[in-house]
Amino acid sequence: MTVAQNDAAPAAISVRNLDFYYGAHHALKNISIDFPQGQVTGMIGPSGCGKSTLLRVLNRMYDLYPGQRATGEVIFDGCNIIGPKVNLNVLRSRVGMVFQKPTPFPMSIYDNIAFGVRLHERLDRAAMEARVEDVLRRVALWPEVRDRLRDSAAALSGGQQQRLCIARTIATRPEVVLLDEPTSALDPVSTARIEELLDELKADFTIAIVTHNLQQAARCADQVAFFYMGEVVEVDSADRMFTTPREKRTQDYITGRFG
Amino acid sequence: MERSATSPSALTGAAKGNGDAVFAAIVRCSAALILLGLGGMVAVMAWGARGAFARFGPGFVFDKAWNPVTQHFGAAAPMFGTVITALLAILLAVPLAFGIAVWLTEIASARIAGVIGTLIQLLAAVPSIIFGMWGFAVLVPFMAHYVEPLASHTLGRVPGIGTLFRGAPYGTGFLTGGMILAVMITPFICAVMRDVFLSIPAVLKESAYGLGMTRWEVVRRIILPWSRSSVVGGVMLGLGRALGETMAITFVIGNANHIGWSLFSPGNTIASLIALEFPESAVGSLKFSSLMAAGFLLMLISLGTLVCSRLLLRTKAAGR
Repeated sequence: MTVAQNDAAPAAISVRNLDFYYGAHHALKNISIDFPQGQVTGMIGPSGCGKSTLLRVLNRMYDLYPGQRATGEVIFDGCNIIGPKVNLNVLRSRVGMVFQKPTPFPMSIYDNIAFGVRLHERLDRAAMEARVEDVLRRVALWPEVRDRLRDSAAALSGGQQQRLCIARTIATRPEVVLLDEPTSALDPVSTARIEELLDELKADFTIAIVTHNLQQAARCADQVAFFYMGEVVEVDSADRMFTTPREKRTQDYITGRFG
Repeated sequence: MERSATSPSALTGAAKGNGDAVFAAIVRCSAALILLGLGGMVAVMAWGARGAFARFGPGFVFDKAWNPVTQHFGAAAPMFGTVITALLAILLAVPLAFGIAVWLTEIASARIAGVIGTLIQLLAAVPSIIFGMWGFAVLVPFMAHYVEPLASHTLGRVPGIGTLFRGAPYGTGFLTGGMILAVMITPFICAVMRDVFLSIPAVLKESAYGLGMTRWEVVRRIILPWSRSSVVGGVMLGLGRALGETMAITFVIGNANHIGWSLFSPGNTIASLIALEFPESAVGSLKFSSLMAAGFLLMLISLGTLVCSRLLLRTKAAGR
């Protein structure tokens, strides 16, 4: 594995010697990678290479399923979050996640956002309304939904729903936002809006994004990690990764020879 | 080449043989038979009940007397018993079934959930007469010796709800009947709930957990709102079964024509009344007719329940 730390940004999350198992299947093999604070880390690689698995380790989502386990170290805020004494509810409020398909909750647009906030903070009505408006503005959804905040979120289009889900995730003010192929179910216009959004969000959040779209990784990411067969083959700045990769496998993948 | 109208590849004309038409006629008849059967059943019940309704009028529904000696019959007591025991059963079974379903779908590992799920389905397959015998041999003495004396000395002294728990500890009665029914309908309600909970997209639950929700918050705020109408539909199915259950409840209800607010007091239900008295009533007698009338009312209550559940399920389909 080749790791080149691109600059001096401190790591928000540090993964060291991580192994992950789905039952007997060894899905991540001795992974080490840093997610620099305030940067977008793009994770690329062919299907089944372990990039989504790594995301699911970073907020312990795998804990929902018996038989899945991780060993090694994932240091976040000085604490090994795959250790036994971690409060998962607090962890997940600090490491938010957006999924491949939009997943609005069966409630109003307003409540989709307010609900997550209420889990962790006690805000009065005015403060809550301000919070909802603020995050909806940040995801550029406010002009489209300001008049129908009480309508069901299911009535929104796919792209709008996904932006709502991002708004919902950042409304709880996490430090890290994980995105698992957030645009793969969206049309190009919605995709472009979300990519713009990532650029603005990284001022406040550390972002990790899994994508199948190499152009997207090149456009959005500061640092790119190439995964292959459960290993991290190469981590480098996006510029270097796509122009002068050091590993043959990386070069083969980004030039479309496999994957 | 010109095709004749009878050649196998001609687009018009009769299909090969009349197989399709015959098949269509057969399946149409099968469907019509159901309609005919249901309609016929309602008609027979109504026709058989005409004597009682002619003699007692609508008062039959509200009259709590059932006296073969004076030939005075009313359905109020068995209707009361039917509704009370069914409601008790729902009250006991729904939380239990809900708990089991949540545990099976959200917490238990796949292997254990499979085993327990099968056991619950087996419980649904136990014949009701077995529940009746078990209820009579085990549950009734247990209630009489332990639960009812304890409850009347504690809960019975609480003002207001105390009335529900006073009375002689016979063991048989509304509460025991409701408990037997609860055991019987829990598997049905649980199976419906489990299927609905399983149909919720995993990614929706993951996003809820991803916001930092606890299990209870996910169940309360995501799973229940998502599945509310189907859950209600499942509960209604259970209710329908509880209303019509005969054998098990006849063993443990006490079989007294009685209306009272003590849950320990013996009573009867329409189904248990018919099961006990039907064989001893002469065809064409007023008692026979009154039993038919009671059966007719039971059918109305059950059908009403079923219609309610259908409506609830349809609202869901239309809402999506």
